[in-house]
Order: sequence, then C-alpha cells, then structure tokens
Amino acid sequence: MRDPNAIDFWRGFALVTIFINHVPGNTFERYTFSQYGISDAAELFVFLAGWSIGIATRGRDGQPEPAGRSVVRLLARTVEVYRAQLTVMLLALAIIAGSALLLDNPLILEWHNAGGFFADPIQSVCGMALMTYQLGFFNILPLYVVLIGIAPTFVLVGRFSLLAALALSGGVYLASLVFEWNVPSWPGEGDWFFDPLCWQVLLVLGFVLQGWNLRSDTLRRWARRLFPVGLAIVVLGIVLAVTGLRPDPLMVPEPRLLFTFEKTYLTPARLLHFLGVLLAFAPLYAILAPRIGVVGGYLTGLGRNSLAVFSMGSILSLIGQLVRFQTGGGVLVDILVAGSGLVGLGFTAWFVEWRARTKSSRVRA
Amino acid sequence: MTPARASGTRWALAALILAGLLPAAAAEQPADPGAGDQPGLSQECRVPGAQLYTMAKLRAVQAALSANRTLKILAIGGSAAPGASASYPAKLEAALEHALPKTDVTIDHRGLPGEIASGASERLRTMVAEAEPDLVVWQVGTHDAIARVDADAFASALSEAVAWIRSHGIDVVLVDPIYTASMAADVDYNRIVDAVRTVAAQQEVPLVRRYEALHYLSSRSDKGEGHMLGRQFRLNDLGLRCMAEHVALTIATSLARTEAEPDPKLAPAAPPLTEPQRAPG
Repeated sequence: MRDPNAIDFWRGFALVTIFINHVPGNTFERYTFSQYGISDAAELFVFLAGWSIGIATRGRDGQPEPAGRSVVRLLARTVEVYRAQLTVMLLALAIIAGSALLLDNPLILEWHNAGGFFADPIQSVCGMALMTYQLGFFNILPLYVVLIGIAPTFVLVGRFSLLAALALSGGVYLASLVFEWNVPSWPGEGDWFFDPLCWQVLLVLGFVLQGWNLRSDTLRRWARRLFPVGLAIVVLGIVLAVTGLRPDPLMVPEPRLLFTFEKTYLTPARLLHFLGVLLAFAPLYAILAPRIGVVGGYLTGLGRNSLAVFSMGSILSLIGQLVRFQTGGGVLVDILVAGSGLVGLGFTAWFVEWRARTKSSRVRA
Repeated sequence: MTPARASGTRWALAALILAGLLPAAAAEQPADPGAGDQPGLSQECRVPGAQLYTMAKLRAVQAALSANRTLKILAIGGSAAPGASASYPAKLEAALEHALPKTDVTIDHRGLPGEIASGASERLRTMVAEAEPDLVVWQVGTHDAIARVDADAFASALSEAVAWIRSHGIDVVLVDPIYTASMAADVDYNRIVDAVRTVAAQQEVPLVRRYEALHYLSSRSDKGEGHMLGRQFRLNDLGLRCMAEHVALTIATSLARTEAEPDPKLAPAAPPLTEPQRAPG
C-alpha cells in the first residue's frame, strides 16, 4: 500500500466528483467543480492516469524500466480495464432491465440509450465486446482501454525523447480536430462520446510532465511563476460557466473544433482551461494534506484503487438514479444516495486492499 | 438553405401532398376514433389526428423539396421495437419517401444520453453542427423525466435549444415521451410531457404527441394477445413500431399546411438565416 500522495488524493477527488455528477439532477451536483468551468473531472482523471504511467514505468531516479516490462505492464492493465468495462456494462444493462420489469415500466429501458441493446441484442452484444456500443455515463472505461492500449507507443518513443512523444501525440490531436476523426459507434450511428484520438494528448501530457518533473526543477519553477495565469484562467472559466457563454458551433470558422467547447473532442479551450486548473490547484495538496486527516486518508484510499472504485461508482450512481426516479428525488433522498454512495466507494477501496493483503499473506504462509 | 422558389414543381408537389394527405390534415378536429381515413398509417397504429400531432410550418423542409434537394434529417433518440424487421431510422425513411414521393430522404440517427437541462443540449448543438440537416426530429424528455429534472428548468432549456436550431434555418419536429400506466399518475412526469407541448406551441414547431397516441392505443387495445413481459411492454413495443409512421404523418401534414399557406417572409430575397431567435422561456 502506497503512502498518501498528491496523485492518489486528486484521483480520489476526481472519483468522488464523477460519482456525484453521474447522478444527474441531484442536489450536490451544483457543489462540484465541474459546474464552474469548461473542463471537468474527466480531464483530471485522464491526466493523472498518464502521470501514473510515468511513475509505474520509471524509477525514482528517472531511469526507465526495461522496455519489455513496460509494454507487458501496460498490456496487463489494458486487459484489466477491458474486463472491468464488460462487467460494468453487463451489470448496468441487468439493473436497467431488472428495474423495468420489477416496476412494470418500459420507460426505464430507454435510460442511457439502453433501448438500442434491448431492441437489437444480436448486433449490440457484438458492439459491447468491441466497445463500440456504449451506454450514456458508461463511456470513460472504453476510452481508458484504448488509451492504455496505445500508451506503449508513447512510452517507447519517450525513452528516446519525451519531446518527440509529445509532438507525436500533439500531431494526432491536432489532425483529429481538423479532420474530425473519431472512433465510430456500432450498432447505431454516431461516434464515441470520448474521442480517444483527441483525449490521448492529455494522457501523454501527464506522462511527459511526470518525466520532466523528475529530471529537473525547471517544471516546478515555471509552474510557480505561471500560478497567476492559472488563477486567471480559473476565474475566466467560472465566469463562462455561470453566464453560459459559449461559442455557437454553427457560427465559428473552420476548422470548427479548434474553437468550440466540446467535451467529445477535448477541444483546445477545454485543454487550456484544464492546464489553468492544474496550475492553480496543484499547490493546494501540500497546504491541505496536514489539515484534513480523515478526508485525505479517504480520498487517497479511493485514488489508490481507482479502477475498482470507478467501476463500483458507475454501478452505484446508476442505482442512485433509479432510487431518485422511483422516490421522486428531494433533498433527503439525495443525502441518502450521495451518503451511501460515498460509503460504498470507501468500502470498495478498503475491500480491495484487504483482499490484496490476505492474498499476499497467504502466499507468504 | 436557399429560399424556396415559387416554381411549378413546388405547386405540383403541394398538390400531390395535399391530395395524399387531405383527410389526415382535416383530422385535426376530433375525429372518429379508429377512423380508417389515415392513408399513411397501418391498422394497428391508427390514432385520431387530434390525439396524434399538432401541426406547424416546416419552411426549411419545404425549401429542400422545392429545390429538389435530398432531404437531410437528423433523428435524435428512440430505438427500434424488439424483433422489428427494420430499425426506426430505416422505417422513418421508408415512411417519408412513401408520403413524399419523388423526394430522396437521408436520415442520420443519433442517441442523446443525458438531460437537456444540463449537458445534453450542448451535445445536441454538436450533432446539429456535424449533420447540418434540414430537419431535426427530436424525441425528447425521457431522460429529464427519469432524472427528475424540474419541469420549468427543462422547458426553458428545451425552448432555448429549439430556438437555437431554428435560428439557423433548420426545422424541428418534437416528439414527447411515451405513455405507460405506471407513470400516468406521476405529476412530475406529466409536467415534463406538458412542457414539451408548451415549448412546441411557443416555438411553433410540429409535435408528435406520442404520450396521447399511446394512451389512445392502450385504451383501444385492452383485449388482445398477451405479452410475456406484461401489458405495458406490449404497448411500448407497439409505440416503437408506430413511431416512424406517426412522425412521417406529422411531417407530411405540416408540410401540406406549409404549402397551402405560403409565408410572405419566405420571399426569394430573404437570406436563409434571418429567422429571428425567439427568447427562451
């Protein structure tokens, strides 16, 4: 078990935010930072995933581990995330179908676009295995599978030059924006909600910045200098979010995606806003850590077990939505849903670590 | 979207549509329940016009027809009935090409998860910008109803979204949520259904009254074959099977009206994007 650290803390924070935001309409939604800026917790989550790949594939001295080991490590992680995605999808569909049957209410079948699955299970089950069929709110893990799946390319290039890895990633990102490349959905028309060709830039950015951060003090010095810029961007983000000002996608010049705020394509405005958030809030952990004992321990616990906690969070948020729907919602129900959800996330983290401990002690015995 | 030119073709088309759909168009007054006077509808889907739709003008669609262009439709939401031989978009395309002969129709069908009152309206803008359609057929309200979104917040967000689409010279047809017995007495759910109707009236866009239509069909089909999942599921399947026909009839009827009462605003001099944006709310 790792000691508490900033990465796990912020990842735990992102997980809690995603959980609350995935119970739409609930009272606590308006207290999450996602409501006060252009970017949200998804950016934070993917960036930290990249940073973690850096930690996992490099020693403390910045020396990378053998290339083969990095590739196998990432492959193993890809398989693990893919397995989680299949499990979560199956459970989500079963929860939706089960609630519809139990409540004699076919309306629920349409929730999160699950209707397509029940209407056409033959194609949809293939799409589910291919991850081209996704439910609303259940689209981060497919992105994650693809990102970790392609990560070895960038990790291997990064062994020679981090700048080259970043340039390659940035090139794919810009080309995808200009030519509107995305992975198609199937069955059903349209594209992925999170375009992996665009979102990979954030993963690679996390990986590269972690490397630079290890090598020298330059990055930290610049981050301190740019702190006011970060703060200004955060303030601008709040103003834009509160006033609802955003570019009209039918009015902006071509190439359209360079100018809009679309989450699907992680457009430059969102990326810039996220970097601003990073500059403004990264120093906060050092200030908070000594003062928030239990909360800090809880969040870093979630962050250490992010895949299990995220998967459980998706299922718990779906159950929370159905509870809100059937009871009609209200502040009391919201407190119950959010409260039991947060306890459930904490329990998941504890359970995973308990299981790992007993397994390893049994091996030793 | 070039403004319509008052050509001979246009009037020929209008006559054709009118000839085909006059009985349906007249059915806005309460009609004989189950009347067999709706040529566009198959037997099991017949619903009196008053309970099926409200009409409004579809100027962009009309412009596409008069210019002999392919009619581009963005269909949002909805899925095929289980076991149906053709999907909703394929059926809608077929039904429209039947109702509007000589017109080529292409349909881009997208799901839109999430609530209109929060993120989904942003996603809708993206879809419209990508598809650049003449018409958006939008099944709306289900997700907001399930998320228990406040009906007023929903109405103002929907109104804003519809106004935005129309401000770009694109037509909209709204489709309200389904009727199912367990929701019939649910006050919040009914307020969402009402909100869709109110927005359609305010924004002057046609509305497919799916809730009313299914309610009508449910009262008519009390007897009949059972469904292994219960009566509500059978009704739901019927609703999904009839969706395409109901939407096509609403579009054709509204078009007939658009043709019958040419709008002076649509003079050839008018630039395409001058439709004033109405205030939301």
